[in-house]
Amino acid sequence: MPMKPFGRHDQQISALGFGGHHLGDAPDQGTAIRIVQEAVDSGITFFDNCWEYHRGKTEDWMGKGLQGRRDKVFLMTKVCTHGREAMIATRMLEQSLNRLQTDHLDLWQVHGVGWDNDPELFVRPNGAAEALLKAKKEGKVRFLGFTGHKDPAVHLKMIETGFPFDAVQMPLNAFDAHFLSFAEQVLPELNRRGIAALGMKPLNGHGEAIINGELSAEEALRYAMSLPVATTITGIDKLEVLRQNVNIARNFKPMTTAEMQALRDRTRQAAGDGRYELYKVSLKFDNPEARLAHGFPLDDQSVEVKEMMKATENTGFPFPDVKQQQP
Amino acid sequence: MADEKGFTRRKFVQGSAAALTATIVVKPALAAGGGGMPDNHEQVPHRPLGKTGAPVSALGVGGFHLGSIKEEKESNELVARALDAGINFFDNCWEYHDGISEARLGTALKGKRDQAFLMTKVCTHGRTKDVAMKQLEESLRRLQTDHLDLWQIHEVVYYNDPDLIFARNGAAEALLAAKQQGKVRFIGFTGHKNPAIHLKMLSHDFPFDTVQMPLNALDGTFKSFEHQVLPEANKRGIAVLGMKSLGGSGEIVSRGALTAEEGLRYAMSLPVATTISGMDSIGVLEQNLNVARGFRPLSAEAMQTLRERARPLAADGRYELFKTTTKYDGKVGREQHQYPPEQKLPV
Repeated sequence: MPMKPFGRHDQQISALGFGGHHLGDAPDQGTAIRIVQEAVDSGITFFDNCWEYHRGKTEDWMGKGLQGRRDKVFLMTKVCTHGREAMIATRMLEQSLNRLQTDHLDLWQVHGVGWDNDPELFVRPNGAAEALLKAKKEGKVRFLGFTGHKDPAVHLKMIETGFPFDAVQMPLNAFDAHFLSFAEQVLPELNRRGIAALGMKPLNGHGEAIINGELSAEEALRYAMSLPVATTITGIDKLEVLRQNVNIARNFKPMTTAEMQALRDRTRQAAGDGRYELYKVSLKFDNPEARLAHGFPLDDQSVEVKEMMKATENTGFPFPDVKQQQP
Repeated sequence: MADEKGFTRRKFVQGSAAALTATIVVKPALAAGGGGMPDNHEQVPHRPLGKTGAPVSALGVGGFHLGSIKEEKESNELVARALDAGINFFDNCWEYHDGISEARLGTALKGKRDQAFLMTKVCTHGRTKDVAMKQLEESLRRLQTDHLDLWQIHEVVYYNDPDLIFARNGAAEALLAAKQQGKVRFIGFTGHKNPAIHLKMLSHDFPFDTVQMPLNALDGTFKSFEHQVLPEANKRGIAVLGMKSLGGSGEIVSRGALTAEEGLRYAMSLPVATTISGMDSIGVLEQNLNVARGFRPLSAEAMQTLRERARPLAADGRYELFKTTTKYDGKVGREQHQYPPEQKLPV
């Protein structure tokens, strides 16, 4: 498995990252554990997760899968304050550590930064920024970052707060180049500052463009991995998917500039209105917790909303309690 | 847009009617600050439509909601009363309620066509000139007229729309052809998504007479049409038509940021030719007329006060869902841009 430097730090991470969200789509806990174990044994070190994915199930399953393997991986999870105060972040960190069965994270990121006022809410007095710095000082997390999929302008605003981010995560794929582009607007800025760029959604989230025959899964993943990023995080819900992606990563040779341009030319027309990047233009990929915190309507057809309603006595506002997933 | 949105708005408006009355009765000072107590004999003032100089009423009747009214009798009555109060600006669109909104307005304006400044919109959503010309004929037939006062390109909200509209044989050519043929007097475009898309349209230096956009007291904090597009249009003498003064479905009012009266007053006080408001009952029309009759703009200080009050609620776009979600993106546009339908991509 090819390894890459984690930004300006003396730390290597695997060029392919294990996306935590899709782990929750595995049929059962046993399968999920086997997927995680095999991923580690295949050389993947970067593991992504998030406090709010499947109401805690994916952190729980990943924690079980990593038992005995924790020291082999670079473990990341995300905190879901969405503008709310530091105390909530700290409480979520304890829950995440507990579910992941570890005493520290390698990377802790602010999840789903996408609303226009998120940066100002993050750095306000008693905002989540204080919780991040405190967690680092206490040795509970090694590095800090943020993620988002909505608008490069919001990412730039977040970077401009001056907070000492070690990593920034964003959607990077062959369609992004033409439409509210993170690759054009954010990626060069991160590289300039030595902030590790973490790519996600190499297949546009749910692979719609591949299903519609715009490009192949291999082309899509190779394109994303050829950008100047520290890792490319991709969702894995089956052993077959893991093996296919590991195979692409092991044989990975970066695309030439000409190859990348040719692929961009092919995607240009379909990319222009955002039909394959609905996370930038709709609420489709915005988790229930983010919508609640910002007072946006919930989508009651969403799996996570259904899980939320089932798993909790949800009052909706301001901070619903989440019960620990039982094995 | 689904019927239930009209329903939601109706509910909110009825709810806020009491609050509005209370505001006027209990706080006469506020009403006086905005131009005095409403007087049933005063008319809605007219303003020039940008550099064309054509007079249009400062309040316009939104066409979508005409099609939400159950009985044709009521929509006829609403239009007649609006005309009596001095309103001449009537908005509509080829795709509203699959043509019902245009048909309703055509019926209501029978024999009164010359009293109205009639606008409708064309819904190519990236398709060619001939599609636009065919829609124009359908609109004219439904509206029972031989010409429009204003024809606008509807819902320029997808980021590649400007490129498609100005492509060879695109909708821009249709606007010019229709004007040359005397079927429309003036031309423009509308959209509710992002000022950047509006500015891209304006960057073409095309002879637009009008541009329509969401303008409300919350807009200033967030992807602001008021800051980014309004001054540019004013500078060029392009008439600005404001819409969504209450957030599209009254979110600004129903969730307590402003009263309906404050919301409408704010929007009408901006340097716009008209403010288009959806009215799906005589009650809503009368409510709006309370503000619009003899309207005098709010002072700069009063506007700043409203903006500041709304700011904490405005900054993430929760009450301007037309900017932040696909909620207000219509069916025809979604189909043309291959977006999932409303059922598959709910808010």
